[in-house]
Amino acid sequence: MTDRSQMIYLDYAASTPVDPWVVEAMTALMTADGNYSNPSSTHAAGRRSVEYIAHAAGQLASLLNTTEDTLVWTSGATESDNLAILGAAYYRRERGQHLITMRTEHKAVTDPFSELEKRGFEVTWLDSDANGLLDIETLRAAMREDTQLVSIMHVNNETGIIQDIQSIGALCGENDALFHVDAAQSCGKLPIDLAALPVDLMSVTAHKTYGPKGIGALYIADRKGVHVEPLLFGGGQQRKLRPGTLPAQQIVGFGAAADIAQSRINDDLGHLTALRDRMWAGIRDVPGVTVNGDIANSFPGILNVSVEDIEGESLLLALEPLCVATGSACNSKSQEPSYVLRALGRSDALAQSAIRFSFGRPTTAADVDVAIELYRNGIDKLRCLAPTRAA
Amino acid sequence: MPGTDARGMSSDPYSAEVRALFAAPEHGGVLDNASCAAVEDQGVRISLFARVEEGIVTGLRFQAWGCPHVIAAAEAFCAKSEGSAASDLLEFSVSGLMQSLSVPAEKSGRILVLEDAVRSLGSIVRGASKH
Repeated sequence: MTDRSQMIYLDYAASTPVDPWVVEAMTALMTADGNYSNPSSTHAAGRRSVEYIAHAAGQLASLLNTTEDTLVWTSGATESDNLAILGAAYYRRERGQHLITMRTEHKAVTDPFSELEKRGFEVTWLDSDANGLLDIETLRAAMREDTQLVSIMHVNNETGIIQDIQSIGALCGENDALFHVDAAQSCGKLPIDLAALPVDLMSVTAHKTYGPKGIGALYIADRKGVHVEPLLFGGGQQRKLRPGTLPAQQIVGFGAAADIAQSRINDDLGHLTALRDRMWAGIRDVPGVTVNGDIANSFPGILNVSVEDIEGESLLLALEPLCVATGSACNSKSQEPSYVLRALGRSDALAQSAIRFSFGRPTTAADVDVAIELYRNGIDKLRCLAPTRAA
Repeated sequence: MPGTDARGMSSDPYSAEVRALFAAPEHGGVLDNASCAAVEDQGVRISLFARVEEGIVTGLRFQAWGCPHVIAAAEAFCAKSEGSAASDLLEFSVSGLMQSLSVPAEKSGRILVLEDAVRSLGSIVRGASKH
């Protein structure tokens, strides 16, 4: 096992620790002296599980300002994205087979779209501007009569850039296209008012907001024409949209996490903004450093920076014991630059040097100061080691 | 991610020796009044500096731009080769370092840049000794 005592975790965009109150709420549904029954059972214990789940649905619905019956529980944002994209595309196949998304979306979105392309749908892949933002006129120009689904994420997982989902949704509505939003990075972190937003489908997950892994939800607006076809079959749970025994303890954990998030979302944003600004102030004078994205238009929990003429993998190792994410979307065979940063127009070298710092509730100013020192020292060390490039 | 297996689970991509060599590259830097060879290929840049006295390598330094395995391999080469015969540089092979540092096969191209740099250094040293 890795010694965690020296680690400084700055990867909260990847996952967060489960809040102790969430653990307590979940444990009550797991142990022999608790309520561990199957919510599909009709006996008293089963009905009690149903009550817990209903309460949790109310908590998540309150966070998103929607109603409980618009939420379908899933295993996480990836499943929610698949259910939304594949499910809506199949449901509306007769209306049209043109779909729109962005190149900078998470793989949980781009891969289902690629799969639909293989199955005969036509996908328009939109580019962002150099900061990662979608120009609404770019979307307008891509809209067609047969466009049936648009999927644009709320907060980008790599850069933190926030898309204008109000304007995008309004444009989709004008064109009778469904609008899906991957809100994995924003649920519980930014205010979301689904009663006011023109969003038809929204994917959320618990583990990025101090809830457990393995539980997410898909919001399906209670409006005419908004529906998805199921991808799974058997059991009939959740109006047959997503069958399977409901994991009551996971759902209760998500509900508790949503409740906590709602109570402190503004405090969290203030905390994260202070940390992000401290981090950037501490490294912005490093020669060749640049922000990937736009700080003024980003979720403050994420700061993604690249630096010129630094090898990314070595920088990542030099930063240990920091736990941060690299700009490489790679596998064990190769280290390829992030496709998101490449789509922003970054060179391979600059994208490969990217480091994503992401902050969370437990992060302290002292953590950030250590990160600043390690980043500066790591770059100094690697630059001292590097030969001068031939002219 | 480097060190991610087919199941998407992470594993440490670096051996303890690679970590130690990367953390403290004692031979990193330049040598004044020394023979120098520089090679750039495979996205890697390596410069080697050697001081040779009476056919023996008495000092070695390196500069490298590359992944941790490249830096560790350059450091390991320098540490092992000081005190050896300069003529050995011409025969240098990275195969031993590849094994001892557990360099992944997909990085062999990068590590071979070190082999090219060492052999180039050997040629330069031999040329200098003839004058």
